[in-house]
Amino acid sequence: MSRRYDSRTTIFSPEGRLYQVEYALEAISQAGTAIGILASDGIVLAAERKVTSKLLEQDTSAEKLYILNDNMICAVAGMTADANILINYARQAAQRYLLSYNEDIPCEQLVRRLCDLKQGYTQHGGLRPFGVSFIYAGFDPQRQFQLYQSNPSGNYGGWKATSVGANNASAQSLLKQDYKEDCSLREACGLAVKVLSKTMDSTKLSSEKIEFATVGRTKDGKVYHHLWAAEEIDVLLKEHGLAKPDDSAETG
Amino acid sequence: MASGYDRALSVFSPDGHVFQVEYAQEAVKRGTCAVGVKGKDVVILGCEKRSAMKLQDTRITPSKIGLVDTHVCLAFAGLNADARILVDKARLEAQSHRLTVEDPVTIEYITKYVAGVQQKYTQAGGVRPFGLSTLIVGFDKGTTIPRLYQTEPYGIYSAWKANAIGRSSKTVREFLERNHKDGMDREETIKLTVKSLLEVVQTGAKNIEIAIMAPGKTVEMLPVEDIENYVKSIEAEKAEEAAKKKTSRAPGSGTAAILTRPAGDDPAE
Amino acid sequence: MRGATILKATDNKTRDLNSHTLMAFSGEAGDTIQFSDYIEANVKLYSMRNSTELGPSAVASFVRAELARSLRSRNPYNVNLLLGGVDPISQKPHLYWLDYLASLAPVPYAAHGYAQYYCLSILDKHHHPDIDLEKGMQLLQMCADELKRRMPIDFKGAIARESRGQEWHTFSGSRQ
Repeated sequence: MSRRYDSRTTIFSPEGRLYQVEYALEAISQAGTAIGILASDGIVLAAERKVTSKLLEQDTSAEKLYILNDNMICAVAGMTADANILINYARQAAQRYLLSYNEDIPCEQLVRRLCDLKQGYTQHGGLRPFGVSFIYAGFDPQRQFQLYQSNPSGNYGGWKATSVGANNASAQSLLKQDYKEDCSLREACGLAVKVLSKTMDSTKLSSEKIEFATVGRTKDGKVYHHLWAAEEIDVLLKEHGLAKPDDSAETG
Repeated sequence: MASGYDRALSVFSPDGHVFQVEYAQEAVKRGTCAVGVKGKDVVILGCEKRSAMKLQDTRITPSKIGLVDTHVCLAFAGLNADARILVDKARLEAQSHRLTVEDPVTIEYITKYVAGVQQKYTQAGGVRPFGLSTLIVGFDKGTTIPRLYQTEPYGIYSAWKANAIGRSSKTVREFLERNHKDGMDREETIKLTVKSLLEVVQTGAKNIEIAIMAPGKTVEMLPVEDIENYVKSIEAEKAEEAAKKKTSRAPGSGTAAILTRPAGDDPAE
Repeated sequence: MRGATILKATDNKTRDLNSHTLMAFSGEAGDTIQFSDYIEANVKLYSMRNSTELGPSAVASFVRAELARSLRSRNPYNVNLLLGGVDPISQKPHLYWLDYLASLAPVPYAAHGYAQYYCLSILDKHHHPDIDLEKGMQLLQMCADELKRRMPIDFKGAIARESRGQEWHTFSGSRQ
């Protein structure tokens, strides 16, 4: 039917739409869910990781959550290979900024750099768009804590709570229902596991199925980001009564 | 009929169309509406603004109205991400112009530049056109003549007294054709802008953005409370006009009637 | 007039980079203008692109990086700079000293050129970390007087500019 406008390069369809971008969005809606919640004293990112085999090493590297800069982390939904390219690019952009201005890149600017690159792949010849959506969590002195989301079209926006990937519609409505303005980071973490437990197929979660990260400030005002270890996630799950009864999480 | 001629990106079809560009214009029509209106010594940009969802961070949502230089303001309709790239190119050109000729750009110059970039993307290999139209407004350095230009995906640019782009732009343009007068003052110009936007925006002030450019000044964004006041007074006028029409069918003769009559008719359309 | 060198009376060797950062320069005549034009354009471009302004320390780092790049090029700029401003977020004043070798130092007071041999001793003696704006202007006046008295060039006065965080105010100093 619409074969003529949806192969090869990204071009306009007669209605003025970009099918390639819409298909990329489709690909992302099948990827593991990732959510981000903005709290008054920090931000939490949480993501579902798809465990394909028991033989996979669990502790080597994060699959869904990445550090971009001293002041920023992100969650990924979509094609991990594409994400790696973009993350690498973002890390370089952040370091280049640090080199010329001797301060961390403001969050929105880093998001925009990435999105400008994404936009380029929807306009310039022969290339398909990047098949990834991101949720970014960061801090800068001007706007304090910030949460962003971006998609393959190169659009981005700021959010208080957001989700990408499979079931993001139901995750979003859960967030809308339960999100409280000015909640604390602890409450936000609780909300995050609650939403994830409802959107993931299994009712009981374990640390091998999810990843967790937070951005916050230490008592002396220094910004920190923290990718949680399996044990910390298990503690959180137990606290909210969502942990598997037989705790078989072996992390080597 | 179109087969093949809309695949390669910059090729004429036998009957003389460049389909990709025409499709890009469709993308513009899908974008939210933007209006530009010139007054005597003021020029206004108005935009339809999508309402923010509950969980959106209102601090950060990017605006459809942006500054290219301190004296040049731009509004667009079409793809947001494309606009970011195009506006950034214009900003770079504006500063580089200052650096090389020690003068700020004229509004026409920067319009021509933006249109030139858009044109290049309709002809260069392996790129699709920019899916956006822009309205560029401002005052040239040291002058008090308002400027308003439009650019389109084809790379066409044109000067206007008042114009609209994006969703339902035809309706709004027709409204402006009926109601625009030369030499309007600031208040009248803002009011006409808001009124023309109300043709397509049903939800009132919270979905309208207004930017004001005056000679020798940078942009002034109208606070939402002020827009609210304009909306209220326009609605009151409309109601009054409708009531008058019911009681007597005599046509208005003064200039005020020209302003309000077509709007009063609208709900029936 | 006593010396052989005559200064242009209207020469302004300062440049507003944005609403809260100011740059003063000395050095090779053409280089100074060329370089500060370039810096000014880039700082303004940053403001336009990001709808926010660079703080004084970020500007200083940027200028230093540009000087360092220039130094390693075929024809480096010969420019010495002072950069001052009030950080828009923390509201703290900053002053930086930069030279053509791309050194960057945050300082409480500074001078460039031949004048520094006359001024620094005065500033060493009278400057205090917690002086207010008025006292600062007095110190500048003392420096200007000293230059008028001792420097072997025709001193046409000074331009002093203050910042209270928002805008720069210009004072014409003791013009004869």
